Amino acid sequence: MPSPMLVSDGATKSYGDLVALAPLDLKIRKGELVALIGHNGSGKSTFLKLTAGTLELSDGTIEIDGEPAGSSPARAATSFIPDDPVLYDDLSVREHLEYIAALHGVDATAEDLDDVIDRMGLLHRADDLPARFSRGLRQRTSLAIGVVRPFDLLLVDEPFVGLDASGKATLLELLDQFHDEGRTVVVATHDAEFVERVSRCIALRDGEVIHDGTATSKDVLRLVGA
Amino acid sequence: MAVRTADPDADLEAALADFRKARRRKRVADIHWIDALYQAYLTALIGGAAVLIGAGFVGDGFLTPDQLHRVAQNGPDWIGVVAATVIAVGLRSGSRGGPIALEHAEVRHVLLAPVDRTTAMRGPAVRQLRFLLFVATITGGVAGLLAAHRFPEADIAWAACGALFALTTMALGYGVALLTSGLRVPSWIASLLGLVLVSWAFADGANVIEGSPTVALGHIALWPLQFNVLGLIAIVVAVGVLLWGLTLIGNVSVEAAERRSTLVGQLRFAATLQDIRTVIVLRRQLAMELPRVRPWLRSRARGIRRFPVWSRGVQGLLRWPAARVARLVLLGAVAGLAARGAWSGTSPLIVVAGLALYIAALDAVESLSQEVDHPTRRNAVPIEAGAIELRHLPVAVVSMLGVCVVAFVAGVVVGPSFEAAEIAAACVVPAALGAVAGATVSVVAGPASASSGGDTWSLMPPEVAGMRLVYRNAWPPAMAIIGIVPILAARTAARHGASAPLTALAAGGAVLLLFVIVCGWVRQREQIHMWWRKQMDAAMPSSREREVADA
Repeated sequence: MPSPMLVSDGATKSYGDLVALAPLDLKIRKGELVALIGHNGSGKSTFLKLTAGTLELSDGTIEIDGEPAGSSPARAATSFIPDDPVLYDDLSVREHLEYIAALHGVDATAEDLDDVIDRMGLLHRADDLPARFSRGLRQRTSLAIGVVRPFDLLLVDEPFVGLDASGKATLLELLDQFHDEGRTVVVATHDAEFVERVSRCIALRDGEVIHDGTATSKDVLRLVGA
Repeated sequence: MAVRTADPDADLEAALADFRKARRRKRVADIHWIDALYQAYLTALIGGAAVLIGAGFVGDGFLTPDQLHRVAQNGPDWIGVVAATVIAVGLRSGSRGGPIALEHAEVRHVLLAPVDRTTAMRGPAVRQLRFLLFVATITGGVAGLLAAHRFPEADIAWAACGALFALTTMALGYGVALLTSGLRVPSWIASLLGLVLVSWAFADGANVIEGSPTVALGHIALWPLQFNVLGLIAIVVAVGVLLWGLTLIGNVSVEAAERRSTLVGQLRFAATLQDIRTVIVLRRQLAMELPRVRPWLRSRARGIRRFPVWSRGVQGLLRWPAARVARLVLLGAVAGLAARGAWSGTSPLIVVAGLALYIAALDAVESLSQEVDHPTRRNAVPIEAGAIELRHLPVAVVSMLGVCVVAFVAGVVVGPSFEAAEIAAACVVPAALGAVAGATVSVVAGPASASSGGDTWSLMPPEVAGMRLVYRNAWPPAMAIIGIVPILAARTAARHGASAPLTALAAGGAVLLLFVIVCGWVRQREQIHMWWRKQMDAAMPSSREREVADA
């Protein structure tokens, strides 16, 4: 059995007396493609942000391949694609990718970058400023930034929101490809189509795992709706 | 498209430095020389005005030997208060992810990359520090030069020591901010430390307690008058703290840095637009000042059918976070002490008291502010906007009465007497009403701008529009200051042998009248605006109406 890639041991996040994530115990093995579902406020995004290191734990631990979340090796291994694309105002799509690749020690050629940009359907806009793009195009740029760098664990928060059909199809293909290559992929989503494709669906409710296994779209409705 | 692999020998920090350099070059190239010239012109204009005002404040004549002796004795203590304030600001800033406000994208992409965070943060920190030290040196130097007009020693010595004091204080304040951030000092501890430091410095200045550490910094500014070796120690400590802070810079909290990066830009923009409400809301977000999940008291929704707006206000009040309650208590105490100072003869302190209550009242009118923030929600209710807004005021008045009771206690405790208690009691209600009136006008009228108020005002000459802008900004705090005026009236009456409490009560009647007028304005504002618009339309028909009339 593959060793665990992501281990959450009582991970908790609270803001004063407001609990955003109750103690969560979770183990995700290397190479798994996981859908993380739950109703609004169940703690999905908080968990992903804690794992990526943009939020700090109030209690408990999260380890990525044996390293604490937020540490340098964990940051090198984890690519986080948030639901709110954060982009530089003065960099084009191509410049964004050059910058991010360089920050992760990737010596990417122009062809390599064009390959990623083309895959996201942005080649005709490669030299435009993405900060001025529509929501969907900014989301595509954010996805390109997330995959241009090396990673062992990919965290994606609500990726299908704002994407059109072709964008969604490309993303689903990419996620399958990363899974086939042995990367660990965790996607927080409400998208029933995606949930049906994965072998493991984890449902959260008030910080507790209420379902762990395969799920159908009916299960999604049941788990997320109530 | 395959996932790339990282080169283990890649110099990530060098790549980061190269990209930052390239971006800076690009940004500098994008600045038009006219814009740069305009910025320089504005800076020179504001700087010149500040120097002129400062020169007027300092005056000219040489100090007498007795005055010089007093400056040498007490000067370092009071200059230490300035230093303590700068350090307190550093403590607060550091506990909230400061002092650096990185670009949001830098937090997300650079701080989450496997780049050494100390190296990544050092560049922005050094640039910010360089700028702050430059501003501090100029300000301190000019202040020293102005002070030199009243002292016998050479101008250059005062200017140099003034600059050195400001430089050291800023370096220490910045170092403390870096340390607070690097050591992850919780916000409440940082605030408490800052409060203790400033209070200690004040108490030392008033000769209540001795030994405030910031006096050492004060000695630097007065070296031309009297050399004290404590100043040298302060310089060594400031350099040490700054260097220590710089070594811990990589330990910044990403969560705090991200919150700061998203809010600081908006905060500056809102402050530029004089949008006080937005500044308050963003400042609360920056400080993570969230309403309590559980209210202080469980209140049944009694009377909610008959008085829904009142009940809503009380429910909001009961969810105030402890930090807000503490801030209002502190502001109340400041107002009380300042009012006591005004009673004792320092009349300008009523401005301090009025402003403290005004700031407190901006929190007290929270439920009204939220109503104004969401006009669509308010307009969906089949009641006139003015009527709803008016019903929010009682809760604000009740909460401000609480703040003014704190002020009453602070003012009386300093020098307890029956007369002091009588006068303070007579001033509680007017102070609360004046502050609520000011905050209400500020919130309901919204941010002042040259174009707000419609076409009529935009057609006015700049001088008139500018005066209106000044009036819109100054009037709300002025009303809060008017609420404190009964203290001055009572003082004048006492000096002329009349009854001070009765005079304060009579002056309070005028404040009550002002409050009633503000209530009337809130209630009838829409009708007044409609009437005014009709008059303006009649005076200046639109082009379409002119066409119809011509036809």
